[in-house]
Amino acid sequence: MGTSKEFLTIQTPEYVGFQYILAGLGSRATAFLLDTAIRLLFLLVIFVVFILLSRGLSSVDPAGIISGLSKNWIMALGVLAYGIIDLGYFLLFEALWNGQTPGKRQQRLRVIRMDGAPIGWLGSAIRNIIRAIDILAGVYPIGFVVMFMSRNSQRIGDYAAGTVVIVERSRGVPKAGTTHEHTGEEPQGDIEAYISTLKPKQYQVLRAFLQRREELDQDHRQQLARLLVQRLMDQWEISQRLDISYESFLENVVEAYERIRRAL
Amino acid sequence: MTENRDNNAKEQFTIRMIGLQQGASQEKLIASLQRLFKKKTPEEIQNALNRLPLVLSRSARKSQALKIKEFLESVGAFVELTDTSPVKGRGGAGLERAEDKNDAAPSKGDQPPMGEERRTKPRVHTGIKLHPMGIGELLDRSFRMMREYFWLFFLIVLIPQGIWFLVGKVIQPLLGGMEGREASMALGVGFGISAMLAFVVFIILQFWAQGALIHAVSETYLGHNTSVAGSYGAMRRILGRLLGTLILFSILVMLVPAFAGMFMAIFIPLLLSMGFGNVTIGFLVFFVVVVVVWFFFRLFLNWLMVDKVVVLEGKGWMKALKRSTELMKGRTEPGFWKSNKMKAGLILLLGFLIALGIQLIFQIPGVIFSVILKGSLVVRTVIEILNIVGTTLATSFTATAMILYYYDIRLRKEGFDLKMMAENL
Repeated sequence: MGTSKEFLTIQTPEYVGFQYILAGLGSRATAFLLDTAIRLLFLLVIFVVFILLSRGLSSVDPAGIISGLSKNWIMALGVLAYGIIDLGYFLLFEALWNGQTPGKRQQRLRVIRMDGAPIGWLGSAIRNIIRAIDILAGVYPIGFVVMFMSRNSQRIGDYAAGTVVIVERSRGVPKAGTTHEHTGEEPQGDIEAYISTLKPKQYQVLRAFLQRREELDQDHRQQLARLLVQRLMDQWEISQRLDISYESFLENVVEAYERIRRAL
Repeated sequence: MTENRDNNAKEQFTIRMIGLQQGASQEKLIASLQRLFKKKTPEEIQNALNRLPLVLSRSARKSQALKIKEFLESVGAFVELTDTSPVKGRGGAGLERAEDKNDAAPSKGDQPPMGEERRTKPRVHTGIKLHPMGIGELLDRSFRMMREYFWLFFLIVLIPQGIWFLVGKVIQPLLGGMEGREASMALGVGFGISAMLAFVVFIILQFWAQGALIHAVSETYLGHNTSVAGSYGAMRRILGRLLGTLILFSILVMLVPAFAGMFMAIFIPLLLSMGFGNVTIGFLVFFVVVVVVWFFFRLFLNWLMVDKVVVLEGKGWMKALKRSTELMKGRTEPGFWKSNKMKAGLILLLGFLIALGIQLIFQIPGVIFSVILKGSLVVRTVIEILNIVGTTLATSFTATAMILYYYDIRLRKEGFDLKMMAENL
């Protein structure tokens, strides 16, 4: 049976294992398209700047002696700028931003070495120079096929540099704005007395509900909150009627669980 | 005595298992149900339990029904009995429908639930963990599924394309043999009708494949197994509804440009005759085009999920269009780009760009071949085959991404993964 994610496990010499979520073709393609859009924007800006510069020079030098010479230089500089942006964009960003480009950052991706270490200048240079082979004809024909076949979704540049692209884990917490005030007469101590019987798996479900409740349709939201509260009340054998809303009750349970866990 | 037996024969109770008691042990319940349904495997019973409420029998005698209720409630189930004895004069218990026998046991666990049941509770394998995904993760998942079930998805989409290609290859020599003949009206009509028939058959096959792919992706995503034949077979029953709804969808969407065309055909000559200048008319045309494009995409995105609704929820026609609109309405996350329609548009755009890349990969070798070996029949055929492979892969990928997006919307809006987890708390 397929899992929803693919993982890369890195083991340190001390036999400590780290697990990373591997980025797949979809998110990498999305990040690349975003980066391409940014690069095109850069190139457009440079193009406009050079046009303005060349016009400015012709007005300064009506005879065209300096400007004729300078236009060649400007063209050469333009080609150089294009090269720097095309190659340097990925190389510089990945080396300076710890394996991320703006597109990768937006997609929460990061390039790391196969041993889990940051990519560094050399790794970034190898990876991005070899991109020229992967990207052949602009549509990644080789990179695409190699990544599709690769267990770790690596392209040739990744193999050469010994790198892999991973997904950064999210650290989502229930939104502060959606937290309800504790309005009921239910004493806080009462809930805390029951919290010790709450299993981590149950806590995760409650937390997932609180995190995602804003996305749910109103009917489904109410149904779910009622179902969760009923399950808890059955487990804790509480028969008295709640004076607070189901969601407030669940918030209190989650808050109390987190407080106790922190204290421990 | 005879009368008493007759009464017993006419007594008919439906036994339905409607839920599980708090703390009920599933293993114990499965073992108990296996005592009642000896031919069923524990997996089949488990599947059936995942789809509660479950009809255990529709033709039990009262005493039997009470015994079963008592027995199952002692092992943690909630059981409901309904008196469904036939009304006198309308046939007795002997006239039980054949389908009732199928419903009487958990054997239907092998069949995906349809209609309302499917809508409210998709059949998810117990080992599968579902969660809402971002666009990147959704596309990742589509690729991963493509890699994992490559032949399944590829063959499902390839079948209509392959048939079309083969039919073309068979017709081509026939047409070649007729080159010497004089063109006649009858010959032209014959070809016209044949071409139209072939096109209609191709469209039916294409929609059938679309439905089969939705079924296959859905089953594998929810952790079940299926095959090419199984997926096509699952569509047989709803093919008419699927075809009708998709044709209705296409007609309604295409009505927008059609009306706009009519509007312009009437008003432009009218405005010209009234002496309006070209600039004014140019602005009007531009405005109409913008409105048409906006409205066209809005309708298209509203009804984007219609094929999934038909296949996975068993709804058809206007109900399917309405349900699709309901799914695509609003936003599931804060932010302009996170509205359901916007996300669908982005997925389609990204999917299109990636699909374009996939197609180009298969077209580049074709271009190289055609440059080296000009005009050869073999090269032409190879290029055509490569095009079909490229199109098939690109179509499978984009369709897979959209099917996963359908589930993503339902996960976010209806939280069926949370419900599943909550029920197992």
